[in-house]
Amino acid sequence: MQTGEKNLGAQAAPAAGAEPIVSIRDLHKSFGDTQVLRGIDLDVHRGEVVVVLGPSGSGKSTMLRCVNLLETPTSGQIVFEGTNICEKGVDLNAVRSRLGMVFQQFNLFPHLSVKRNVMIAQQKVLKRSREEAERVAIEQLTRVGLAERLDFMPSQLSGGQQQRVAIARALAMDPHVMLFDEATSALDPELVRDVLAVMRELAQGGMTMIVVTHEMGFARDVADRVVFMEGGVIVEEGTPEQVFEHPKSPRTAEFLGSID
Amino acid sequence: MTHATHKLRRRPGALLAAALLAAACALVLAPAPAAALTVEKLSARPNADAGSEVLAATPTRINWEAQAEEGESLASLSLTLPEGTAFELDDARATVLTGADLMERVEVDASFSAEGQTVTASFAEPLPDGAYLRIEIFGVEFPNAGGDMQLTGSYELADGEVRDIEGMPAIPVTSVSPLDALVADLEQQEWVQAWNSNKFLRLFFNPPVIVSSFPIVFNGFLMALVIVLVAFPLAIPLGFALSLMRTSRLRLLRAIASVYVNIVRGTPAFLQIYIAFFGLPLAGIQIPTYPLGVVVMALNSSAYLCEIFRAGIQAIPKGQTEAARSLGMSGAQTTVYVIIPQMFRNVIPTMTSEFILLYKDTSLLAAVGVMEVVMYAKTIVASTGSITPYIVAAIFYLIVTLPLARVVGMLEARLSGEQRSGKAQAAVTPQAHDSGM
Repeated sequence: MQTGEKNLGAQAAPAAGAEPIVSIRDLHKSFGDTQVLRGIDLDVHRGEVVVVLGPSGSGKSTMLRCVNLLETPTSGQIVFEGTNICEKGVDLNAVRSRLGMVFQQFNLFPHLSVKRNVMIAQQKVLKRSREEAERVAIEQLTRVGLAERLDFMPSQLSGGQQQRVAIARALAMDPHVMLFDEATSALDPELVRDVLAVMRELAQGGMTMIVVTHEMGFARDVADRVVFMEGGVIVEEGTPEQVFEHPKSPRTAEFLGSID
Repeated sequence: MTHATHKLRRRPGALLAAALLAAACALVLAPAPAAALTVEKLSARPNADAGSEVLAATPTRINWEAQAEEGESLASLSLTLPEGTAFELDDARATVLTGADLMERVEVDASFSAEGQTVTASFAEPLPDGAYLRIEIFGVEFPNAGGDMQLTGSYELADGEVRDIEGMPAIPVTSVSPLDALVADLEQQEWVQAWNSNKFLRLFFNPPVIVSSFPIVFNGFLMALVIVLVAFPLAIPLGFALSLMRTSRLRLLRAIASVYVNIVRGTPAFLQIYIAFFGLPLAGIQIPTYPLGVVVMALNSSAYLCEIFRAGIQAIPKGQTEAARSLGMSGAQTTVYVIIPQMFRNVIPTMTSEFILLYKDTSLLAAVGVMEVVMYAKTIVASTGSITPYIVAAIFYLIVTLPLARVVGMLEARLSGEQRSGKAQAAVTPQAHDSGM
């Protein structure tokens, strides 16, 4: 795991002047004639938890997917650990292996057991030995509270359990940044809590996270910074207190009002 | 010598020994005294479906003819059939011819009797001097083992003198397998005859024909299995390669695969077989029948498998690829470790159906002379005039297709069950999962 620069509870804004781990500059993305992102600028620093809020269709998921290049940006640049990953010749697979992604639909591999789900990319991408991959898998699955489910098939797990396996699968790759794309949106309310608990613990452990979510409580408690997006642009950003208590934009206020 | 035989005659069981003794004596004491009756002919009527063989365990008729010497007037005649030979005397017949050119037929009153294996024809009046005698015995069934059947016999003259019959030729009898014996036996059964008295039953479900065609059609069954078991594994990688081509980013690959698949699926397999089997030799390409049959079946099936695989790939949610790629797996790794295993899991039921179709389609190769189920059945149909071998052929198809169809049903039920539980995101008990195959 990442040795966090941030200790438990020390959720202050990152040290100014430090190089951001992810830096998005003037990011545009169109699907055909539809402009989804119209110039996003966002810096994420090491150990920072950035929560992205916004109504559906605001482009927040697309932005997240651009960060690990599941979507190819139309223009603009994304610098990850000093490399502009939008340029040609970048080893995409190497970049992606350092960017953990958790999906709304979990996307576990249904033909592999829970343990093998967490092992496969370690073995094939990081070239870890079977024993090493298995050790890491057990470690990460224990961490998300699923040590008892190693040999289950994904279809035998609840949605919340599946999502925690997906988190363990991403963590097993020792990512430098974790991306959460509405990780709890597909879950029944009673299952959301366990997944959020894992995410909370991760944040407290110092993981750099970009979290797209509708969970206002999580944003309020865990985020170092909250970003509000609408219509493909960032409308407002700031600390949770600033955004939730004193939104500058009327759109933000309206959105937060409709949610709460 | 004659005297010894005379005594032995009373004990038919010892006749073989006597014959051997006689033969030994004949060798030692040659030449034989006072040549007597000459056996002109001893034969059994051919009773095979084709050819001139005499089959064991199958009814035949023995035809024995002999010319008596001048001065010999037969009062009775005994013929001893080999051990284990069955016969009937109801229709046994004696015919006597006389005259210089044996053109005169003499009415005789012959009565037949049997004692053990010995058939005796007693004549009410002794036969004319030097007559030509023909004895016919019906319903003769030689023992299964076959071989050269050696009959022995003797005759009694009007004056009471008994003489051995010398120079009796052997009847070569072809042995029959237990199966042939069973068929022959079946044909004699009353219930079979009653069954076959119904025209429909006789044509389609003739029991002896079922039994006799079974092993022959079985050969075709094995052949069809070999063809499909070689062709199908060949078609799988081919079909998979085609499906990858059809989903490729390269337009040329897509076009090639698409043209191939559309042509093969758009034309009858029968026509493809004709083109391959008649076209290639004309083009100077000589490929033996069986390999060519396998190749044509594999090429045909690969087009169907291509579409099955393509559907199987497209049925996999996009999220699977995204998840794999987001973990840093390359496109190739994603295909090998994530897409292909899931695709095969998805397509196993449809693939099994395609296997069934291909297995049935091997019958089309009969049209170009490949010996498979239908072709073998056809040859028996041609020789027996019964449709029954085709029914046997149908059974051989069903032996494979029915269980497989059941497997398809089970696999489909299992797959749809998994998908449902996956969608509902409900926790399934491990027991419920393990109860699958």
